[in-house]
Amino acid sequence: MAGLELLSDQGYRLDGRKATEVRKVQARMGVFAQADGSAYLEQGNTKALAVVYGPHEMRGSRSRTLHDRAVINCQYSMATFSTAERKRRPHGDRKSTEMSLHLKQTFEAAVMTQLYPRSQIDIYVKILQSDGGNYSVCVNAATLAVIDAGIPMRDYVCACTVGFVDETPLADLCYAEESGGVSSLALALLPRGGQIALLQMDARLHQDHLEALIEAAMIACKGVSKVLDEVVRQHLQEVSMLTAE
Amino acid sequence: MKETPLSNCERDFLLKAIEEKKRLDGRQTYDYRTIKVTFGTDYGCCFVDLGKTRVMAQVSCEIVAPKESRPNEGIVFFNIELSPMASPTFEQGRQSELSVKLNRQLERCLRNSKCIDTESLCVVSGEKVWQIRVDVHVLNHDGNLMDASSIAAITALCHFRRPDVSTQGDEITVYSPEERDPIPLSVYHMPICVSFSFFQQGTYLLVDPCEREERVMDGLLMIAMNKHREICSIQSSGGIMLLKEQVMRCSKIASVKVSEITELVGKALENDRKARKAGEKCGFAESLPQERITALKTDKTPVEAMDVTEKVDDIIQKAEVPPLSVPSPSLPVPGVGQVGQNTWGLDEEEEEEEEGEEDRDSSGEEEEKGTKTQKEKDKDEVVELSDSEEEEVVILHPDT
Amino acid sequence: MFSALQDRVGQILLPGDEFCSDTDDTISLSEPVKSEKLVCGPGLRRSGARLLVCKSGVLRHKPPNVFWIDCQQRRYVPARGETVIGIVTAKSGDVFKVDVGGSEQASLSYLAFEGATKRNRPNVQVGDLLFAQFIVANKDMEPELACIDSSGRASGMGVFGGGGLLFRVSLGLVRRLLAPNSDVRSDLEQLFPCELVVGLNGRVWVKAASIQQTLIVANLLQSSDAMTATQRRQLFAKVQQGAL
Repeated sequence: MAGLELLSDQGYRLDGRKATEVRKVQARMGVFAQADGSAYLEQGNTKALAVVYGPHEMRGSRSRTLHDRAVINCQYSMATFSTAERKRRPHGDRKSTEMSLHLKQTFEAAVMTQLYPRSQIDIYVKILQSDGGNYSVCVNAATLAVIDAGIPMRDYVCACTVGFVDETPLADLCYAEESGGVSSLALALLPRGGQIALLQMDARLHQDHLEALIEAAMIACKGVSKVLDEVVRQHLQEVSMLTAE
Repeated sequence: MKETPLSNCERDFLLKAIEEKKRLDGRQTYDYRTIKVTFGTDYGCCFVDLGKTRVMAQVSCEIVAPKESRPNEGIVFFNIELSPMASPTFEQGRQSELSVKLNRQLERCLRNSKCIDTESLCVVSGEKVWQIRVDVHVLNHDGNLMDASSIAAITALCHFRRPDVSTQGDEITVYSPEERDPIPLSVYHMPICVSFSFFQQGTYLLVDPCEREERVMDGLLMIAMNKHREICSIQSSGGIMLLKEQVMRCSKIASVKVSEITELVGKALENDRKARKAGEKCGFAESLPQERITALKTDKTPVEAMDVTEKVDDIIQKAEVPPLSVPSPSLPVPGVGQVGQNTWGLDEEEEEEEEGEEDRDSSGEEEEKGTKTQKEKDKDEVVELSDSEEEEVVILHPDT
Repeated sequence: MFSALQDRVGQILLPGDEFCSDTDDTISLSEPVKSEKLVCGPGLRRSGARLLVCKSGVLRHKPPNVFWIDCQQRRYVPARGETVIGIVTAKSGDVFKVDVGGSEQASLSYLAFEGATKRNRPNVQVGDLLFAQFIVANKDMEPELACIDSSGRASGMGVFGGGGLLFRVSLGLVRRLLAPNSDVRSDLEQLFPCELVVGLNGRVWVKAASIQQTLIVANLLQSSDAMTATQRRQLFAKVQQGAL
């Protein structure tokens, strides 16, 4: 894909967005009946489904019970039809295990686990269509699912991937931009306090540009959090209208 | 095996000590433990000691078919093995969370940053390329495996030489090291990981945590940089909340540490290169400290030998040229054993006198007879010196 | 055999060395035959008429007739009557599970504390340090601890440990520390005042006036594990000069 301009002179990207624009976010909560909490989120062309069960008793190894906190168990998988080439191994390979660990770490920071000692909270996320920013979309979907399940959290967790091209940070990368060898940074943020729950960066970036990149990521995350807030409020309104007499 | 639980008392003590900026082994908050880099006899084998953490990396190569998506690029494969000898909690065969985490971080740090020129590894485009495999074995776990592994991996890659290859049409000939000198890999830059551990919800920060500090920490931030101040990878793990200012501060500290470590690695590579060129024996066995029992063989220790210098001068003036080689281990005095070449000129004189004594019948020279009495006194003096002045003396007492 | 053993007191013995009881082959007819009783301690085993050495170490003797091998090891094997430092890992019902560094965890009943009754339970949390002694410790059963001696008094045992540091040393150093006229202890006394709890399972707890002093004492003890007496005294002297 040589010669493809990731950022044109007028400041437009491949899909016509400006450098700081995030893709369109559409989300629905409560999509599954039997799960404690579930959510479906679309960010541009990336679609993810998140399901939460818990807090329930420890299953599997009893020895991993923590006597003062809940254990959060995450599983990240991609549907075999989610990528351009059919995925041979949807879960269990190193990348998926690493993503699951990152999700677990992110939610351990945000969920108030001290309220449920000796129990387990399961978060399952599946990517239905992958077009860049997989991790961020998973985190956003999982946040909505956890809120839907009614598990107390410190704050929303919003995530965004930003890249760095021609001295400009690009917010919310799509697949073409990610595979073009751009330095990308994924950030999971608790917007109200500005605290970073997870920070991950690949590829070379000069130290001086780091601050600008993190700043851009935080602004993008705050934008996403507003949208998620809207979605939650709307969902609550619908539910309260149904339950009100 | 389950690890010994951490008692509340240890945890409280460690946290309090960190609040007072004291670490268990007396380091400062931003200090690394002593790093030692040694190389094996083969090209591409490297040992790294970070305090008590010990890690070994080995690079090997073979010719394979390339990936379909990248037909003219070589393949670089990384693997970290958590050997059960490193810590009782590591189990053989099971891919634990820590192993997945370390492997992915090493891959991202070294592969995504494109530190190796993969296009130069191509032999025949689309058919044959070199596959470089880096295996890192953890030999002892005392905290901060990530840093030690990254230093070992990149040093081994810089040290490695691959066989030379020539293509003639469809045929390729791989030359063995005797036929043609092996070629080093082209390494663009050297990314090195620096780990920061956070305590008390991010209030306190330590660089290079040891194993006990790792057990008490809230979370870890790993920054991989090269000496040109380019960040190759950042990864935060553990359930901590960071602030942007903390990340910026860590990146500044990391740039300082990385330049120090890169310098150290460069020096080690340079020393090894010089040693190999000069034909000296090199390798892991040679780099181990020698612990043979040699009573009089030590490094240069400053010795007060004022009272003996006059006698020495006398003897040197009167004696002949000392023989060049010592035929067999000689016992100047009962109770003092000597194996190998000694480094004291005084004793050479004494040996020469000893041999002179033995050869008294044959040569019968006056000087030797004259110096015999002095030699007796010198013998005593020498014994005293070796007893008191030298620090590492093992005196073998023969069975009476 | 007694004399043969006595000759080799203070020497290094290796597994496989043996002492036969028929070396004294001359029996004097005039003196009455004394039956000698030998008490074999750790490292010595009897097999038939022979005494076999099964651990490598130095042979020690305590008059009148006790012999044992002083060997160096790091992993502890529980033995009855020994006082150890344990870490509480779980509270299940009426029993605490305590990790002592052996092959399995020991159990400690909540009634085995001074002044504990069914209504008045001791205040022990998971992760606390305990100083206790073994009441049951053989190879066939799970080891049991008690924080109370046979007369019902605590005598120094129980929960402890706010503000100190716990670290591990080899079993040899621990035994040297606890020996009646210990060099190491007298050297340590001259440094600075500190509180020391020594468990026979290789765990030592130190608390001194400040964190810095606690760290110094801990590092000194850990490094004196592998030093000769002179080296250790030099090190202590250096530290004393630095501290003053």
